Amino acid sequence: MSTRVTLLQGTLDVLILKTLVFGPEHGQGIARVIQQQSEDVLLVEHGALYPALQRLEAKGWIAAKWGVSSNNRKARFYTLTPKGRKQLAAESSQWRALATAIGRILGPESTES
Amino acid sequence: MLRRRKLEDFSAELRAHLAAETDRLREEGFDEAEAGRRAHLNLGNLMRQEETFYEANRWAWLDHLRQDVRYALRQFRGAPAFTLTAVLTLALGIGATTAIFTLIHAVLLKSLPVVRPEQLYTAGDGRHRVYSGMAGDWDIFSVDFYKYLRDHTEGFEQLAGFQADPRRIGVRRAGSPEAAESYIAEYVSGNYFSTFGVPAFAGRAIDQNDDRPSAAPVAMITYRVWQQKYALDPSVLGATFQMNGTAVSIVGVTPPEFFGDTLRGNPPDFWLPIASEPAVNHAGWVNNPDLHWLFVMGRIKPGADVRTIGAQMQVEVRQWLTDRSGLLGPTAAAQIPQQKLHLRPGGSGIGVMRATYSSGLELLMAISGFVLLIVCANLANLMLVRGLARRRQTSISLALGAARSRIVRQALTESVMLGLIGGIAGVGIAFAGTSALLSAVFTGASSVPIGAKPDLAVLAFAFGVSLITGLVFGVAPAWTANRADPMDALRGGSRTATEHVGSLPQRSLVVIQAALSLVLLAAAGLLTQSLRNLEHQRFGFAADGRVAVRIDPNLAGYKIDQLEPLYRHIRERLAQLPGVANVSYSLYSPMSGSDWATDVTIDGQPPPSVDGQNLTSWNRIGPDYFETIGTRILRGRPILEADTAITRHAAVVNEAFARRFFPNEDPIGKHFGVGAAFSKSFEIVGIAEDAKYRQPDRPVFPMYFIPRPQVTPYDEAGTRAFESRSLYVNDIVMRFGVRPESLEDEIRRAFAEIDPNLTVIRIQTFDTQVQSQFSQETLIARLTSLFGLTALLLASIGLYGVTSYSVARRTREIGIRVALGADRRSVVAMVLRNAYGLVAIGLVLGIPFAVAMGRVMGSRLYGISWYNPAILLGAGVILAAFALVATIVPARRAASLDPVETLRDG
Repeated sequence: MSTRVTLLQGTLDVLILKTLVFGPEHGQGIARVIQQQSEDVLLVEHGALYPALQRLEAKGWIAAKWGVSSNNRKARFYTLTPKGRKQLAAESSQWRALATAIGRILGPESTES
Repeated sequence: MLRRRKLEDFSAELRAHLAAETDRLREEGFDEAEAGRRAHLNLGNLMRQEETFYEANRWAWLDHLRQDVRYALRQFRGAPAFTLTAVLTLALGIGATTAIFTLIHAVLLKSLPVVRPEQLYTAGDGRHRVYSGMAGDWDIFSVDFYKYLRDHTEGFEQLAGFQADPRRIGVRRAGSPEAAESYIAEYVSGNYFSTFGVPAFAGRAIDQNDDRPSAAPVAMITYRVWQQKYALDPSVLGATFQMNGTAVSIVGVTPPEFFGDTLRGNPPDFWLPIASEPAVNHAGWVNNPDLHWLFVMGRIKPGADVRTIGAQMQVEVRQWLTDRSGLLGPTAAAQIPQQKLHLRPGGSGIGVMRATYSSGLELLMAISGFVLLIVCANLANLMLVRGLARRRQTSISLALGAARSRIVRQALTESVMLGLIGGIAGVGIAFAGTSALLSAVFTGASSVPIGAKPDLAVLAFAFGVSLITGLVFGVAPAWTANRADPMDALRGGSRTATEHVGSLPQRSLVVIQAALSLVLLAAAGLLTQSLRNLEHQRFGFAADGRVAVRIDPNLAGYKIDQLEPLYRHIRERLAQLPGVANVSYSLYSPMSGSDWATDVTIDGQPPPSVDGQNLTSWNRIGPDYFETIGTRILRGRPILEADTAITRHAAVVNEAFARRFFPNEDPIGKHFGVGAAFSKSFEIVGIAEDAKYRQPDRPVFPMYFIPRPQVTPYDEAGTRAFESRSLYVNDIVMRFGVRPESLEDEIRRAFAEIDPNLTVIRIQTFDTQVQSQFSQETLIARLTSLFGLTALLLASIGLYGVTSYSVARRTREIGIRVALGADRRSVVAMVLRNAYGLVAIGLVLGIPFAVAMGRVMGSRLYGISWYNPAILLGAGVILAAFALVATIVPARRAASLDPVETLRDG
């Protein structure tokens, strides 16, 4: 089953931070990476991406600089700040705990349907 | 202010995203156009994105503010009548309140500009001023008495003494060709400046070494005179000045803000040590232990108990008097145990002005508070009307997607801006108002100790009031705007036919304004009538065509036996001036501010058992005096040329004297005097009609008049000193048939001929003298009338606003009525009835308050009862007339509506 899931509020922030762990990336690149790594399950609405980036930048978790992309276009590249790295660690463990808890409540997939 | 990230930068990023995404989609096999379309679709509305970015930007509020302000200004320009009315209303309210408050602050609340004023204490309130004899409540002391208190009271760090009534002296810089000018000088103890903690601005302050009999006379000059007369010339320091002919060297300049120990018009120009009084004043007050002329002001030791000090000083007062009782006489000695002294805080100076003006200023403050209330009510009303009139526009804005918060904020911005603009204009009015008030309070003063600019606290007060008013008024219309339903606008909300005369808050505001206006109008009516009564009462002398010239032959060095020729010479010389009908002289003329009083003993009646029991005013006069001032002799004869130093001692008494001491007898031929041993001193030769010499609002005091040269040889030193002093009479009075143009010059020239050393202190018409007695009453009556009119005007504007608004709202209803056959007169009547309903409620509510206000003012009123139905009725009629004008205009507009028009576009 290949259902596409729209991201829950707040999830996008943590995914952006995670994506940037591997190095600087521009907005369109971030969206692509999230989509590919989630094996196309997670759909990033581009319209929501930029306000999120804006928000993270304002909080000081990511920093931005204009650069040139691989296919030779001008793009604004985002990098993870040390503060952002700490935030990512905290949020990741929160998410894992939440996912485990919800998983336990819902039980194994086979019992459904 | 730079924003963290520019919108252009964000847009560029979005464009870069679109390009990259298009590239990717093309790689996936979409053609160019489809790739671009999908990329756009995925990103969403570009403008929406940009807007989201913009909203999230933390500086956006600044842009909003700028927009709001620009929008508000456009709104103001679009409604100039509303804006002007609102700003004027606010400015008037704030300006008047600030001006009054500045004056109250300066007169009632402000401390002296000295070090730690809260540590300063003084004796009494400066109102008793008994210069000799038993004061009862002591506030004024002789030099010896002051020194006794200073040396025996331990609770004071320092106790200063200073002249209670600084006088004018002739001052001339030595070597300067100019004539001497008259300046006010105050004699102060050597520790005066150190007690206040006031250092010299330049040079040095007067100190203890200057205050010794052997010291060379020195003086300090005030910064004001140094600046105005000598242009801050440094050579003034150390220069020698001739003061009343005595060489005095200037040792220092007092600081600009220092005006001395007492707030008053014409504060001292020069300061001299007490010890220099005999040399400069030529009177030797210093050496007379029974002549009281000094106030005291002490700085208490930290932690000292004021009550203990006060009690101790009271003991000292009795002790000092007991030590002197042998010289004071038995009547005085018997009263020593009743003598008291009260210490009062002296940090705001000797409270003469405070005592005189406090009730008047408090009344004015209450009145200006009323005006501010009316101003608030009126502005609130204006804003409400405006907010409601814009309801439809607001509804449309809401329907088009404007955020409600944004609409409230816009309304708030407008209100606050109005408040600020009104506040700034108000401060302007306050400046003008304060200087006008100051010149009214200090009538005739050539210099005033208070600056005409509102100080910082007062400015803050004004701005606070304007801002809070702005905010409060902002809430109401913004709140109603926020409740507006967008559907209303689309449905055509203004079509409703069930509207009353304005909303409930609006109607209440009109009622309150009408009530307050009535209160103010009635108060103004009472005060104006009271002032008129004061001014037009029978004074017992004639004011027109009379002039009083004040001189002091004592200062010019005249001896007692030189006086008779001098006064004769003055009379003869002045009688030659063109237009002069009579010339005479007296110790003091009516309403000149002076009053000499003493206890009399009537021959054949018991002597007064307590000081003040037989207190009467007395005066020394020249021949032809009553004729000159226009007082009639009712019986007997006036004082004549024939009453000389060696003839039988004669006296003319007034009616009050006759009534008081001879209720059932004919006073003529009876005798009286001062002190039991002298009860046969004067024989009453005539009765003069009652004339007011002081306090125009009080009944005439008993008074007697004796010929200038007749001297009684009293045995008490103090009484004898007064007797000698009283021979130097001060006021030359003149009556004119036709008043010459250059009167003052002529008089001065005449005196320069008689004796160039005889300084003319002032020349005043009786009219001016009388008017100056009413300065406070005039000020308060005028201001109250002004405020009353302002209130009336504001209330009328408010009523007009509400009526026109209701007419505008009921256009359709009126149209239907007219269409159904209502004639124009009945439409006018309907509108008037509605408006008058409000005014009538206001009147009914206002009457008890107006009566209560009259009751509060009762003590200020002269010749009129605090409850005066005629004035109340008059105020009501004026209010009704103004209301008629304010409502007839919108009513006629309503009547002239074309029914077809109103039904078509309602």
